[in-house]
Amino acid sequence: MSVNAMASESSDVLVEIRDLVIGIQRTRKDRLLIVESANFDIRRAEILGLVGESGSGKTMVCRSLIGTLKRRSASIFAGTIKFDGMDLAKLEERQWRSVRGSRIGYVPQSALTGANPVMTVGKQLGEAIRRNRKRKEKDVRRRVMELLELVHIRRPEVVYDQYPHQLSGGMRQRVMIAAAITQDPDIVVADEPTTGLDVTVQAEIMKLLKEIRSELKMSVILVSHDLALIDEVCDRLVVMHAGTCVEVGSVSAVARTPLHPYTIALNRSRIDISTPGAPLITIKGNPPAVGEWPAGCRFSDRCDFVQQDCTVGRNPVLVEVRPNHWSACLHAERLGGTSE
Amino acid sequence: MSDALIEVRDVSVTFGSGSRAVRAVRQVSLHIEKGEAVGIVGESGSGKSTLARVLAGLQRPNSGEVRFAGESIYQRGKAYRGENRRLVQMVFQDPYGSLNPRITALSAVSEAVRVHGVGSRKDAIAKSLELLGRMGISERDAGKKPRQLSGGQRQRVSVARALSAQPSVLLADEPTSAIDQSAQAQLLNLFRGLLDGGLSIALVSHDLGVIRYLTQRVYVMKDGEFVESGLTVEVFDNPQQEYTKQLIASIPGRELHKALS
Repeated sequence: MSVNAMASESSDVLVEIRDLVIGIQRTRKDRLLIVESANFDIRRAEILGLVGESGSGKTMVCRSLIGTLKRRSASIFAGTIKFDGMDLAKLEERQWRSVRGSRIGYVPQSALTGANPVMTVGKQLGEAIRRNRKRKEKDVRRRVMELLELVHIRRPEVVYDQYPHQLSGGMRQRVMIAAAITQDPDIVVADEPTTGLDVTVQAEIMKLLKEIRSELKMSVILVSHDLALIDEVCDRLVVMHAGTCVEVGSVSAVARTPLHPYTIALNRSRIDISTPGAPLITIKGNPPAVGEWPAGCRFSDRCDFVQQDCTVGRNPVLVEVRPNHWSACLHAERLGGTSE
Repeated sequence: MSDALIEVRDVSVTFGSGSRAVRAVRQVSLHIEKGEAVGIVGESGSGKSTLARVLAGLQRPNSGEVRFAGESIYQRGKAYRGENRRLVQMVFQDPYGSLNPRITALSAVSEAVRVHGVGSRKDAIAKSLELLGRMGISERDAGKKPRQLSGGQRQRVSVARALSAQPSVLLADEPTSAIDQSAQAQLLNLFRGLLDGGLSIALVSHDLGVIRYLTQRVYVMKDGEFVESGLTVEVFDNPQQEYTKQLIASIPGRELHKALS
């Protein structure tokens, strides 16, 4: 079954990303491709994990969902992002203003860079609320308080008048989540929202993201390089390697029967499920640099299961190997067979 | 405990004074034996990095004593004089910030090799390439500057540089927090090999997974104090303090795999 059949039983599909190509136009003729084939759906009220090493293209895919690729001088060269009758891949900046924030919210990696340092929390959230329509000052304040309570900020009336630097990292990230959901978006994109935060704080932020999914019925995209975290919080996951999606499926299916050697290798290098002191099985070599991708499968020169046909031709695309479980490995069937 | 390589006794560090004083480290004692990996785990603000700086001789404690091989690390007012300076090396969290951006990985390491006095320039380069090779950095990558290397590679260059001094203790402050999971696994394998070779490692981290994987003993730090310490296996399997329990419960992801296996 091909990628196009992905949305088979899918009234609950919110966003359809197909054959997305993202890159940087360096000169008129020279294009540097960063993401070469992103293919996946975002379903309604799910937490979707996006996992991969640095340079795999996960942040670029996120940026394509909130229309901020231009700020990194990147653009979409091909493919579609279908969302509510629109193709986000072809949206003009003017049109983005009615999507970004109001339909798709964004939680940045670092709340210190995402927040305005010279505005109080109350002012910032208030501004986000007022952005789309005029409201009475009193209503805005009430809504801000509501949001602060929603993200479990203790003593919201105090935090309202505080500046970002006065808050702890965890509190700041809560405020950023509040900002992302001010306008009741359908989707919240969270790009490594807990990097640099403590484990206990991370656990609280994850709990909050789960609540947003189950109580507010928003879809959440959680970007992380931490498979353990993805396992814990997400319903489904997308594994990215060297600018392509190599595996898509439910978290439990991928944990039980990974269908791509890269996912298998990632799992083996996890310390949370290895025996202390036993050798960790690492992935050979380094992730290929952007633009220095090998022929055929881009994981082929690091793969333990590599066959002759893996190193020639085009980069293999996702195929539905099992119901709702896609892999881009040419030999996925065999992988699935051996691990059961 | 007499053969402890590093011994810290009743160390306190206070920043500022009067009503605004911050007691970052409070009456802390620990020891590190030869060939042992010891973890210091805690959250932001627990004082663990300050303690790491004390161990490295970068922060003088207000009270208490730090001993290395039986003697105070402070001799005539300075930390780690003479031979001792070579024997205790440190690896920092941010490999980008601790490597000179304008010189290649090879130069960074060979400079350190020569400072610690190993023969001619040619010998130093050969020695450096060998060290980098052991860290999995190829000759080709050795000629690159920090910005051309990945985070994991940079961190391995930092480790190679620290090892060039042939230390007996490696102090590592959050060495894995800025790198990808597979690079983290490479670095941990490397540390394990070094431990087998008799090196002692003090690992300061907020990542409980890393601590559990690598260390034999662990100190759990909170608000400048150790709230719990002991064999890593025992502390993780049977934490005594509420705080430790909470920390361990926050480690993500183990549930699913427990359920599957």
